[in-house]
Amino acid sequence: MSWKPEVDEIERRRALALGQGGEAAVAKQHRQNRLTLRERVDHLLDDGSFEELGPVAGTPVHNEAGDLVSYDPANFILGFGKIAGRRIIVGGEDFTMRGGSPSAAGLRKSVYAEDLAVQYKIPLVRLHEGAGGSVGGTGGKGASLPGPVNAPSRFRSVAQAMATVPVATAAMGAVAGLPAGRLVASHFSVMSKSTAQIITAGPAVVERAMGEKKTKDELGGWKVHTKNGTVDNGADDEVACIDEIKRFLSYMPDNINQLAPVLACDDPIDRCDASLLDVVPRDRRVAFEMRAVVKAVFDKDSFFEMGKGYGRSQITGLARLNGQTVGVWGNDCKFLAGSMTADGAHKARRFLELCEAFTLPIVTLVDEPGFMIGSQAEKEATIRHGTSAVLTAAMTTVPWAAVMVRRSFGVAQAAHYGPEAYVLAWPSAESGPLPVEGGVAVAFRREIEAAPDPDAKRRELEEMLAAKQSPFPRAEALSVHDLIDPRETRPELGKWLARVQPLLPELLGPSAFAIRP
Amino acid sequence: MTQIEFETGGSVWKLLVGVGDTVEEGQTLLILEVMKMEVPYVAPASGTIASIHIAEGESVSEDQLAMEIDS
Repeated sequence: MSWKPEVDEIERRRALALGQGGEAAVAKQHRQNRLTLRERVDHLLDDGSFEELGPVAGTPVHNEAGDLVSYDPANFILGFGKIAGRRIIVGGEDFTMRGGSPSAAGLRKSVYAEDLAVQYKIPLVRLHEGAGGSVGGTGGKGASLPGPVNAPSRFRSVAQAMATVPVATAAMGAVAGLPAGRLVASHFSVMSKSTAQIITAGPAVVERAMGEKKTKDELGGWKVHTKNGTVDNGADDEVACIDEIKRFLSYMPDNINQLAPVLACDDPIDRCDASLLDVVPRDRRVAFEMRAVVKAVFDKDSFFEMGKGYGRSQITGLARLNGQTVGVWGNDCKFLAGSMTADGAHKARRFLELCEAFTLPIVTLVDEPGFMIGSQAEKEATIRHGTSAVLTAAMTTVPWAAVMVRRSFGVAQAAHYGPEAYVLAWPSAESGPLPVEGGVAVAFRREIEAAPDPDAKRRELEEMLAAKQSPFPRAEALSVHDLIDPRETRPELGKWLARVQPLLPELLGPSAFAIRP
Repeated sequence: MTQIEFETGGSVWKLLVGVGDTVEEGQTLLILEVMKMEVPYVAPASGTIASIHIAEGESVSEDQLAMEIDS
């Protein structure tokens, strides 16, 4: 007798697993304009590359006689797949069963995702939609038995994954509890503006505990979370989220022991962009567009901005220079003058940790007036968050190049120069302990008040001191490596990158400091 | 109706349009002074200024409505 009956049973279970929560649940998901998890995985991966792990894990359902009558597949899908030919691990909650709240088998697969990524040393992508635990437990006989006291921490592997491989996540629908925690335990996270909410607890729990009546979107829609840094980016819909994840991973190495891929580059590295000559206005009060500088300097269309909606005085993202990935950090003087705010410092610190963990050289475009001031800034503990960014920069080991585009002041400016940074100054560069406009009013208060025309005296002093902040004396003193024509920025950075590139292999491996959400 | 709201706090340094003015897309409507930098606010679309809710010299806060454009 052959094993045909068992093989038939395997086939039946495989078919049931592919059916997810059943036709009605899948139809409901579609009616609410959301893809199913399997459709998301299809969009993410190269055609035919998905190799599912544990496809028949699930919960058997027996009748009173003990015969198997049906079987509920695990509501977490996990497996290997390829993006642009590179292998990754992908996982996600299946909302069509139990609203993504983990079943016993689903939970096992879910927590296995990080272990697999660390074991195979390949990037991890998690596509989240689901709630965390339920007071009813994970269901099934014996499943409510609590875990042993000596069980390894579920979060240790989450932290290890972040320290070992690129982790990219997306919020596709409502994400709460544990899935929400795992969403942000990533190097890059994106949420779908049209379908996602991220909530620590949903409206019913909030109303019961706090008496606050809010909808899911009011509590945790994109308008809340792209502005506060819970996620890095917002994208219009689920497919756009998946595209952002693919783009992020294209810049990244597979793990901390490898270098990021270098692509062929058809943008000449000696290209001098004429617009850079007058991008910075001579009038020091007039703002300019730092993103235009980024665009002109790095490989054409290569800038991938991360965290555009929060900490907006700082601009962070990945770009390519002669085909090689670099981390780019600039100031946006159009937002709070480009000053270091608490959330801007938090964004910058995470970004520096990302670059350090994956040995990505850092290029800063500096226009830093200093820490943000005023009562709001004091309430936000700006000095603590800002100093955290400064010390993170000081601890990095990756190569840095800093281009002094305009202002570079105070303690905050130190965050923009890593150890042994290669420093280039534009003619528009100004630097010192603090910008003259603020400093003059304090340091020369009596002199200004005693003058027949105090305003004229203040302007005279400002102009005199501004001249001292010129980059020429700094270049003469070798306080910068070179003073350059702004148009030469790309070729000069290209030469720097070619010099530091051979140093990168020695820097591979674990970072001296942890990378945290 | 397009609403122009302030992205940050600051003080209104220059108000360059009045109610009833016709504006072109990209035209500067006002200049906000923030931390001694001039930050221009431009018209996101062409239209007519329907209402103005701030004045020159006024201190404003994040998300405050500056003006509305009938576009």
